[in-house]
Amino acid sequence: MSDPILATPFPRRAGAALKDAYLQEALTIATTKFIDLRKEAFAGLPEGDALRDRARGIKEATLQRLDHYLEQLADNVQRLGGHVHWAATGEEAREVILRLCRDRGVKMAVKSKSMATEEIELNAALERAGVTPIETDLGEYIIQLAHERPSHIIAPAIHKTKGQVADLFSRELKGRFAADPEVLTAVARRELRQKFLQADMGITGANFAVADTGTIVLVTNEGNGRMVTSLPRIHVAVMGMEKVIPSMTDLMVFLAILARSATGQKLSSYTTLVRGPRRPGELEGPEELHLILMDGGRVQQIAGPLREALYCLRCGACLNVCPVYRQIGGHAYGYTYPGPIGILLTAMLEGDRAVKDLAHASSLCGACKDVCPVRIDIPRMLVDLREHLDRGRIAPRSERLVFRLARRLMESPTLFRACVRAGRWLQRPFVRAGRLRRLPFFFGKWTATRELPAVAARTFSERWKDLA
Amino acid sequence: MTTRVQFLERVRREMGKTRGLFPATTAPRPARPREAAEAVRRQLAERWPQAVERFRAEFERVAGVFHRVGRLDEVPAVLARIAAEKGAREVVGWDPAALGWDLRAALAPHDLVVLLAPPRDGEADRRRHREEAARAPLGVTGADWALAETGTLILFSGPGRPRSTSLLPDTHVAVFGPAALLETLEQVGVMLEAHHADPARVDGGGAITFITGPSRTADIELTLTRGVHGPKEVHAIFVDAGAA
Repeated sequence: MSDPILATPFPRRAGAALKDAYLQEALTIATTKFIDLRKEAFAGLPEGDALRDRARGIKEATLQRLDHYLEQLADNVQRLGGHVHWAATGEEAREVILRLCRDRGVKMAVKSKSMATEEIELNAALERAGVTPIETDLGEYIIQLAHERPSHIIAPAIHKTKGQVADLFSRELKGRFAADPEVLTAVARRELRQKFLQADMGITGANFAVADTGTIVLVTNEGNGRMVTSLPRIHVAVMGMEKVIPSMTDLMVFLAILARSATGQKLSSYTTLVRGPRRPGELEGPEELHLILMDGGRVQQIAGPLREALYCLRCGACLNVCPVYRQIGGHAYGYTYPGPIGILLTAMLEGDRAVKDLAHASSLCGACKDVCPVRIDIPRMLVDLREHLDRGRIAPRSERLVFRLARRLMESPTLFRACVRAGRWLQRPFVRAGRLRRLPFFFGKWTATRELPAVAARTFSERWKDLA
Repeated sequence: MTTRVQFLERVRREMGKTRGLFPATTAPRPARPREAAEAVRRQLAERWPQAVERFRAEFERVAGVFHRVGRLDEVPAVLARIAAEKGAREVVGWDPAALGWDLRAALAPHDLVVLLAPPRDGEADRRRHREEAARAPLGVTGADWALAETGTLILFSGPGRPRSTSLLPDTHVAVFGPAALLETLEQVGVMLEAHHADPARVDGGGAITFITGPSRTADIELTLTRGVHGPKEVHAIFVDAGAA
């Protein structure tokens, strides 16, 4: 990816985020609020834990018969008059949409929030093809005007203050707007209402797709998902193939926990079940419906180490509780999906090399696993990923060397004791009050952000000899 | 371009390599969906007075405005009051067959212009109705189901019941009676299974919409703001004697 953000190495990106006072404040306020809302929502749901187990089971059971459910979904969508496209790569998915735009003379497309279309960088491709993409989720609209990426899976403009949004709207929409969320929301409503009514194509993602009925399910709060699937004459849904679920009964299990995990609501304001294009006698709804089922790196994880990441509902709960995300925010990660699950999804979609630094952007504290509605074992997969990066010689040479030396050291008691003795002597100039706060050479990188206890005057094993 | 066969072949190849999977099952579905739906209906025929109270509490919690009347002929006065509050002169609404009663006739004494959704498909109708729905400040629909657990209105689209009636106007009013009430999401699941039980059945419309309060966002500094794209206000008028 030729992204300017990625030209800066991750530690520098993270460092810059830590120094950004605005960002720090925005992150603290937002993530704390999300955590409280989620906690409150689950406190009122005694069966919450059982539902999460059930949801996890459904995701796993679906993967175990994935071919069957994908076929069933495609058959049902087609039977209802929809078209199904199979895309091995993001490029193929983009090509399907661009061809449709060309063939149908599409000039403007309205989009409801979709991480899948962020992932395939659809907007840039549409613009190059002369089609105007309009993001209609307020957060996405803000970042589209600002030419940025989303910094949170469900709150894309979480990093912006109302003052910054007011400045942005005033500049881009030619006006003078107060730094008041009410005012700014009204501005967006007015601007976007006309676009909904004019657009030729509506583009969405899919939160779920029900195989048994051929239903595409969209969950939104603003109502833009409804606009986009009701007004334009063509509806295109772009969906990672793992979003298929078997039945309506399964859907209810996910609906019960998705909004609670994401925003602390019992249900989001709108859940839209789209089943095929407009029916005979029906006045509204698209004439044409296209569902794009995307691989993009997902299929090879069916039997891969990141299989469990295919359960992800994209609720964003793991971002809010992650001590690393809470400090550096979404942009520093550098890819579409930030946060703990984002590291795994980036490895899945962009390949191992993309995460050689990011794999370490976790304290492995396990908070992400605790809040995940489908209990994805993110910390375990991160550890496996680190091991894989080391074995696959993807991790930097120096890092691999250090770990090899550490291993040799741990394997040999004689060598270990010798090093302890040497260390006790070598550390002398650097010990302050029993701690090592600043080390020379490349060890200094470690102590730049942490401190170490000094090697003790007598270690445990040395004292043990006297006691035994 | 990748074909269906190629795509599924890759999926199967990868599935063949998996090992050590834990036993997992999908959610147990009703074996006889229609009978299960009947059982839910019978339950609610008894329990609807509790269900409507729960609906009211949850609906108000998501900023819905709840009204309750005894008979259908009391509905027009409530609608006229809401219209007066909003300064609305025009009301867009579902076709009489879809609503179960005639909105135009009901509002005739109240000096309101009623724009009804035509129960048919056609370019001219579509254009005219879209313009009307975008202009009218008030939209009146029924509710096929009302879910008490979450204060949610569930609307099926179809001929004479367009999606935009509950979407484009600033205020949406749904009128329904005890027969619409359901208590839990699980029951909604049963009802949806029954609705889809006949796979060949494709009558009705292409969309089922769950509406839980007005349109909202918290995208700027997580400040809750209502009426982003959809209605700024949602009202429910519950009719004890039934609305359809």
